[in-house]
Amino acid sequence: MISNVSATRMALLSLRKRVALASRGHRLLSEKRDEISRQLIKIARDIQPLRRQVESELSQTFRRFMLARASMEPEHVTAALAVPTKKFSMAMEFASVMNVKVPHLLKDIEGEIICYGYATTSGEMDVALLSLERAFDLLIELAEKEKQARLLAVELQMTRRRVNVLEHVVIPEIHETIRYIHDKLSEAERDNTSRLMKITDIIRK
Amino acid sequence: MPKARPEQSVFEFLTYPQVGGDDWAYMSQSAQVRTLEMQLLSRTVLMDMANAPDFSAAVASLAAGEYALPQGSARFEDVQTVLLEKRANVRELFADWMLDAAVVALFKSRHDFANLRLALRRTLTDRPFGADYSEEGNMPPELIEHVLEEENYDLFPPYMRRATEQAVLGYYQNKDIRQIDYAIDQVEADHKLAEAARIESVFLLNLFRIQVDLTNIRTMLRLRFADAQHRQGLLAGGFVELERFRQGLELGSEALGQLFFATPYHRIVDAGVAYLTSSQSFLKVEQLCDEYLIGFLRSTGQVTAGPQVIVAYLLMKEHEIRTVRLILTAKKNLLDTKLILDRVA
Repeated sequence: MISNVSATRMALLSLRKRVALASRGHRLLSEKRDEISRQLIKIARDIQPLRRQVESELSQTFRRFMLARASMEPEHVTAALAVPTKKFSMAMEFASVMNVKVPHLLKDIEGEIICYGYATTSGEMDVALLSLERAFDLLIELAEKEKQARLLAVELQMTRRRVNVLEHVVIPEIHETIRYIHDKLSEAERDNTSRLMKITDIIRK
Repeated sequence: MPKARPEQSVFEFLTYPQVGGDDWAYMSQSAQVRTLEMQLLSRTVLMDMANAPDFSAAVASLAAGEYALPQGSARFEDVQTVLLEKRANVRELFADWMLDAAVVALFKSRHDFANLRLALRRTLTDRPFGADYSEEGNMPPELIEHVLEEENYDLFPPYMRRATEQAVLGYYQNKDIRQIDYAIDQVEADHKLAEAARIESVFLLNLFRIQVDLTNIRTMLRLRFADAQHRQGLLAGGFVELERFRQGLELGSEALGQLFFATPYHRIVDAGVAYLTSSQSFLKVEQLCDEYLIGFLRSTGQVTAGPQVIVAYLLMKEHEIRTVRLILTAKKNLLDTKLILDRVA
């Protein structure tokens, strides 16, 4: 930075403007970083119990389904699950949190999850499917929150890096350059003064 | 076949209905079945499997019997193949031993109904016909495909035609896929009862009536559990009248035991409801239903020779194969031993 700079008053003025801008940017980015951290902690706190709940529902679904499948004849399992009646579609909307586009998932679920008769199927299949149905809503909420957390975490990392660069590299470098130019200009000023004094002395003699 | 007496009502027997008398034409077959019955897995073996620490140990406890796998093989796919082979073998044996072709056709019709259910579900919802059908029925799957494509149901035997017509009609009433199953289940139950009456087998008639009752008990509890209103799922033709099951849908859990107190199923309902309420699971009720049916099948032990012995062996063997599959699946997927014991004990 210092090697490229021309030590002029114009450069000094320009650098002073830049350092003011950088300080303002640093302050704003710090505030943004703090807010994203706050949001992230809030989401992370929501995610933890949600994930536990989803995992428990899914593990119950899996366990029940295994038992149901094992206690039914294979051809009855195929027939029962061949034509699902539950229809599921999803749309995505984006909301802005601290200028980060976070997704909001809109689901459209219709139909009943139990899609078979009762004579040749196991009751455990009902328990498994009803548990899966309960897990759907939570699963979508979890996916949404985890995506939000991931996007906010990336943004936080980027913002923190920017704040650090401004704080530890850009602003100190500009200050150093300003000092350098200031020193150079002062030195030039002193040179000039002493030269003028010398000239005055010569004229007087 | 032993002649059927006039139908018993649910109040005329304490635990199991009658199984009919001897038929000496089946003497040789009954003797063979009695020998094979001794090879059925004992309760001890099943408990050892259930309590085994892992899947390999559970498979190893089968090594001494007919389910032994080729040496060194302990993959679940191999077990599944062996179980399907055993099931096909016992069905072949059943067909060989049974002198009455109508009974063989009746038991084979289970596969026809299963194939029809799958085929109709796919055809009516415009899905490809597929190739995963059972070949063990009276009708080859290709013929079912052809008939459904042509929509010429006259090519079906009467029970298949009736099932198809009612299923199609039910489906198009509100395009609910479950109506297909309800219609097929009812026609299947009617067909079994009608055939049992036609061949005048008191054992088969009682067996199918018990099966209808047990299905209805499970259905009633499942409808209550899912808070569903599909009362068409209840089947007519059992010992217990349909009105009692409908009443059971309206009553609270604590009143169900009392509702079925006068029937031989009160223990199933009592214990099943208690387990369902505490564990949100149907394992106990399914286990008790199986136990009751097996108890009835075991009561054919009082018959020296007759078709009852062969039918009972077929059903007990199928049940044993399902139990082995259940335990091994549970072990393979590291499920809790208590769950397995609740289901098979």
